[in-house]
Amino acid sequence: MPSFWAGAARVFDVSLGEMLWSRRTVFMALVTGGPVLVAFVVRVAFALDLPAFRVNDLVVSGPTIFGLMVWVFFLRFTVPVLGVFYGTALMADEVEDRTITYLFTRPIRRGAVLMGKYLAYLACTGFVVLPSVMLIYFLVVPSRGGSLAAGFPSLLIDLALLALGLAVYGAVFAFVGAWFRRPLLMGLVFIFGWEPAVVAVPGYLKQFSIAHYLQGLVPHAIPQDGVVSLLAAVFREVPSTASSLFWLAVIWAVAVLLAVRAVERREYVLDQ
Amino acid sequence: MPIHDQSYRHYRGNRARPGAAWAVIAWAGIRALLARRLVLALLVFAWVPFLVRAVQIYLSVNFGEIALLAPTAETFREFLEQQRLFVFFVTIYVGAGLIANDRRANALALYLSKPLGRTEYVAGKLAILFAFLLFVTWLPAMSLLGVQMVFSGSAEFVARNLFLIPAITLLAGLQVLLASLTMLALSSLSTSSRYVGILYAGVVLFSDAMFQALRAASGGSMAAWVSVTANLDQVGDVIFRLPGRYDTPWLLSAVVTLGLLGLSIVVLERRVRAVEVVT
Repeated sequence: MPSFWAGAARVFDVSLGEMLWSRRTVFMALVTGGPVLVAFVVRVAFALDLPAFRVNDLVVSGPTIFGLMVWVFFLRFTVPVLGVFYGTALMADEVEDRTITYLFTRPIRRGAVLMGKYLAYLACTGFVVLPSVMLIYFLVVPSRGGSLAAGFPSLLIDLALLALGLAVYGAVFAFVGAWFRRPLLMGLVFIFGWEPAVVAVPGYLKQFSIAHYLQGLVPHAIPQDGVVSLLAAVFREVPSTASSLFWLAVIWAVAVLLAVRAVERREYVLDQ
Repeated sequence: MPIHDQSYRHYRGNRARPGAAWAVIAWAGIRALLARRLVLALLVFAWVPFLVRAVQIYLSVNFGEIALLAPTAETFREFLEQQRLFVFFVTIYVGAGLIANDRRANALALYLSKPLGRTEYVAGKLAILFAFLLFVTWLPAMSLLGVQMVFSGSAEFVARNLFLIPAITLLAGLQVLLASLTMLALSSLSTSSRYVGILYAGVVLFSDAMFQALRAASGGSMAAWVSVTANLDQVGDVIFRLPGRYDTPWLLSAVVTLGLLGLSIVVLERRVRAVEVVT
């Protein structure tokens, strides 16, 4: 029997191709292509110096728009949605298609199946989301006084933040998908019901969300100017960078372990 | 030993009149969903805001000095807006599998081989989602109006704001129709209810994210028409005789909303067929 990681690598190999060349990629293309389209519109509007693209008659700089787009499109929407979509589907798809039997009869550990699929999810979403952010960066940042070189460190932080978000959300929803029978609703309630609610509530509740810790890392990536300080005011009680990284790592490790354990122990009953 | 006649016999039962079969689909669907505990929990939870508002009305009636809590026409508008979260979750949970599951099980051909038209099939499925969504929007909003009347012991508020009855009905109806039709159209596009659910969430939330980004970049809300929810907000404000909250003309928002409804109908017309020709 191959080792856990050798088994995971085999599953990764198979799953990556399946994930990249499926109808689901259409959804992902929409989710990541939309912001690029908006960035293009913004770039054209900037080039034409349209009066509509001025806030209180002040010129909004390219880096500011980029920071806002990363926050609004990617951290608040794309990353959690892709996490739910792919994370919950890792095992649920195999159960729904009744193909899980074929995977479980292979001479590899059941947990390796989930791990391989999880790594494929990371690679697949990373291949699509991160280039999309790069495109937006090249479209938006150079306009209105922005500099590509000056904003590069910020871009690196943004990319790392998105990769971290995809990893943590994916791990949490991989566990949800492996454990619960109807994972999608639970996932959507978590990201669009629980997280926005607890982040706005003072007290300790917000510590039971992923968004809270991601927020703790965001101010480093968003340029510091007028519009951003408004955003920063909303994010009071943000945890420190070290604390955010530590807790995100803990959430990720616990979620991955629980997901692997759930897959190894659970008996999946296929619908007739 | 008696020998029974096994040969062909004419049907001697009652024939349902044409056009009534949708009710069978609707009723069967509603009963099946009500048997799920999660649906019941979701429906009960959706009435929590109603309880909060009822307490607010009770306090405003009994403690006149808390003028801040006194209900106005805007209170009912805000209430319907609050219920949007439950509309979102109920639509996904109840609606995602309505047609997708039938397509997955190849049951569509079976349905349509019965004396049942495509319109009746869609109407039956639509009625299921419609009923659940009205239960979390129109019913609590109208009940709140009734609660106000009961707690205050007079019909003065209702008489002064008589337009609230058609306004609540119209906005709740529009909200429910938009959610139901778009969800059914998406459900007809796939065989996976999970995929449909995430697609619906994507359409609603992504359009809003686009609007928020354009709003941040332009400093105005002229681009509100790109967001499904912002359009509904804008039309809802007009229905409740309130000033529109966005710069987009309300007529444009109404046209986009109607366009979305029309597009959903076209998708349903093309996708709900007994036989799928694969080339």
